[in-house]
Amino acid sequence: MLDWLSDNRALVAAVIILCLVSSFFASIFYGLKQTRLREKDQVFGDPERTVGGWFWAVCGVSTLLLVWFYFSWGSARAFFPQAANELCQVAKLHEAVSPVTSSLAIESRYSKSKTLLVRNSRQLDELQARLPANVFSPADAARVTLVMQNTQQLISMMATPDFVDQKTIAEIQAIKAGYAAITNELANPKLGWTAAADALAQPSWGITEPEIPLLPVSAKGAMYDALARDAAAISKDYLKIRNLAPAAKALIAETKAMIAALKKSPSTDDGDPQIVKERADYMKAVDRIFKRIDDGKIFPAEVMAEMQVAVQTMLDQAERSKGSLGIVEMLFFPAGDIVKSRTQCTEQGPGRWLPKPTDVVATFFALANPDVENGGGYKGTTLLWWKWLPISDVVSFVIPDALIDFLPGDYGRLNDDGRFEPNYKDWMLALAQGDVYLGAVPMLDGHIWDSLFRVLVAMFFGVLLGVPLGIYMGVSRFCKSFFDPMIELYRPVPPLAWAPLILTIFGIQDDGKIFLLFMVAFAIMVISARTGATGAQLSKIRASHSLGANDRQILRYVILPNALPEIMTGIRISIGVCWGTLVAAEMLAGTTGVGFIENVARTVSDYELIWVTILIMGSLGLIFDLMMRWVIGRLIPWRGKG
Amino acid sequence: MKKTTKNIVSASVAAVMMGGASLAHAADSVNVAFFLEWATPNQIAKVDKTYDDAMGVDVKWTNFSTGVQMTEAMLAGDIDIAYSQGLAPFVTAVQQGAPIKMVSVAVIYEANDCFVKNGLGINSSNASELEGKTVAVPLNTMADFAFRKYMQVLNVDTSTMKIVDQAPADGAVSLAEGSVDMACIFGGDSAKKAGEVGAPIMSSQQKRDAGIGSFDVVSVTEKFATENPGLLRTFLEVTHESNASWTASDAQLKKVAADAGMDVSTTKNQMSGFIFPTAAEQKEQFFGSDGVAVAAAESLGLVFKKAGAWNVDQKIGKVITGEYLD
Repeated sequence: MLDWLSDNRALVAAVIILCLVSSFFASIFYGLKQTRLREKDQVFGDPERTVGGWFWAVCGVSTLLLVWFYFSWGSARAFFPQAANELCQVAKLHEAVSPVTSSLAIESRYSKSKTLLVRNSRQLDELQARLPANVFSPADAARVTLVMQNTQQLISMMATPDFVDQKTIAEIQAIKAGYAAITNELANPKLGWTAAADALAQPSWGITEPEIPLLPVSAKGAMYDALARDAAAISKDYLKIRNLAPAAKALIAETKAMIAALKKSPSTDDGDPQIVKERADYMKAVDRIFKRIDDGKIFPAEVMAEMQVAVQTMLDQAERSKGSLGIVEMLFFPAGDIVKSRTQCTEQGPGRWLPKPTDVVATFFALANPDVENGGGYKGTTLLWWKWLPISDVVSFVIPDALIDFLPGDYGRLNDDGRFEPNYKDWMLALAQGDVYLGAVPMLDGHIWDSLFRVLVAMFFGVLLGVPLGIYMGVSRFCKSFFDPMIELYRPVPPLAWAPLILTIFGIQDDGKIFLLFMVAFAIMVISARTGATGAQLSKIRASHSLGANDRQILRYVILPNALPEIMTGIRISIGVCWGTLVAAEMLAGTTGVGFIENVARTVSDYELIWVTILIMGSLGLIFDLMMRWVIGRLIPWRGKG
Repeated sequence: MKKTTKNIVSASVAAVMMGGASLAHAADSVNVAFFLEWATPNQIAKVDKTYDDAMGVDVKWTNFSTGVQMTEAMLAGDIDIAYSQGLAPFVTAVQQGAPIKMVSVAVIYEANDCFVKNGLGINSSNASELEGKTVAVPLNTMADFAFRKYMQVLNVDTSTMKIVDQAPADGAVSLAEGSVDMACIFGGDSAKKAGEVGAPIMSSQQKRDAGIGSFDVVSVTEKFATENPGLLRTFLEVTHESNASWTASDAQLKKVAADAGMDVSTTKNQMSGFIFPTAAEQKEQFFGSDGVAVAAAESLGLVFKKAGAWNVDQKIGKVITGEYLD
């Protein structure tokens, strides 16, 4: 069943999207109707106005999920499962012409010829201006200048139409004809393009690791694929073309010889290494510019303009020939492209960093599979499961090993007949180390439980210690003044700043992580309890005092109930912040936990896993908050009505 | 028209989602990623602007703290060349479908060490005693790869160990503090600290004998390689020239140390363990028909392969090429 769902995730997504769209509209319809119904009998600002309204929650969740489906290209995959494959074939065409387009003014403002010419001419001028004075002999200096002039001349020769060789013109013509042929084929597609058998056997989009099948699975795709191969051959031909007329060739040969000679014969002051070096550096710079021109492709502007028209026409036609595919791409592939790289086609844009909802669910189920031996769980631990917890482990956790050392007597020794007879102290040690079987109890286990355990323990201690302290700070001058500087000094420090210290103090076990979370929870609980306690109305306190209540009773029956709403809000906030700190805490020494999964997933850019952990933490936070809201509703029904 | 609409849509979406669209950089500059505290001779060329002169464009250098971040920046289009990216992040990026390729070896260095806590009495001869012990490893890094290789060579079953994911600095602290029995470390400073309280499980000679080594790569985006092969060739040429003119003189060390953000002695120490192969050596040893580069990437890919991932060993060779070394 799960496998079937996993293989047909596009279909599943399509059904879900349709449901979401209908619930989106239905909830708006119902919500508007309800609003009209109640409009008249509610005053603005009345808290009753916010009660209920599940339909708007449905609307909000549907919107969120629809946006997620849309931007992760999940809706594209659901309704147009072949689109990515076809776009991949189009991307192949773009990849094939990219060596040519990059030399033309198609994706940039100027052609490469132009930038090469301008840049190198400028550099030649600069070089000429800083010709060092005492390094070259006058004869050499003249020759160096000549080399630079020759290079300059070479540039202008290449850029002048009169000097272009007939052979080069013919080659360019052939290339333009090649592009025209492709344009023609794109405009009037031959019938009968079919997908090969091995292409159809590929897994569909998003099922396996190379996300998008590379071979064309549709007729349109097959056409682009074949034309991309033609275009690649043309690009290769283009890269081979050299704009070298006989005159230019002669000039190159001459200049090359001059450079070689100049490099070889340092005719002045060989003795001074500084001068030799300066000379070598200068010649290297001259040679570099010359080589760049020699290897570079500089063509006259007209020649390039014609090429540009040919390529641009072909690319425009490729765009037009997409037909319905173009519309799908525009509407369903927002903010990104399908890119062809050397071995595969990949989604670049939100499709990459925002995994599709169905993929996230699939990853979650793979992770949640308790069968660790067969690929379930993560790094050898389940996500959330149960196990038999030996009671001896709990005992050994409570009794420190060192305590046994203080018991009277010595540990057992080897007998003379070579056997070991443990005495009572050895037994006690075994107990303290958890080596004795005392039965087992079922216990939750897994990454989520480990994280949850850390948060809950930290929260427990945070509330247990923070609330009384906060309340006493609210009622006692001594407590307030004594603890205020301490609490306020450490409270604003971000938890991550403590992290390096925690590791040294507590080591790698749970206690360090719990302590880090506790520090976060504690500060918030103190502040909220204190604010709650100081917020009690004076008239109420005086009234109870005059009715004969003692200090204890005032605290119990007046201040505490008044502080409870603030304390509860404090708990809600600190649970949220604890989850936020968890990732940092589990970065210290990661063995298990949701934050650990995220930290490891980050190092391999596994976005699906990252989103699974984000959603797990989000939903756990949400569940806690809902529970707290329920508790608040039960515990302090007077909130907001006092 | 469609393209325009799409661009408008994508531009506005990108602006909304990221708080500002990433601007396509001008064609007249090349963006290079590098590591601080990782001293290489080409930093002299970087400081002297030799790259800019030789390539004829502005070369902009941005420092990163991990190779994964380099990949991310390359995918976002902000970086064209990543100099000295670790092999591990490169391979995992390719496994995730990133359109990047390896064009050269930046530096060869001894594999990262795993330090066993002094006093445990464990060395390579009785390494099986490590079973059941706790080990700090920065997961999915070259140190992780080295750790798995050591354990393979020494015949230690890693599934019995408790492996703790810790950054090198944290691992060194935990080793000193005694909460882990072995820590696998990269980076000069952390290794020095770990060396105070522990000893490497394998000596340099043993590592060489077992064929365990590490190298950093020069990786580029596919787009940059196809569109600007000339610039890429010049970049590598200048790099190799500065490697060749490296004499470790005081003036050179000072310049590199200043750029790497370290003091001269640490720089000297770090660079004494580095080998910078020439282009010819690379073509022969790394990028030949049975080159080291593909073999290392494949074996690393297998270590980090996630369940159900594509067949790394068959494909990774295609994105490793020595063609730009000429």
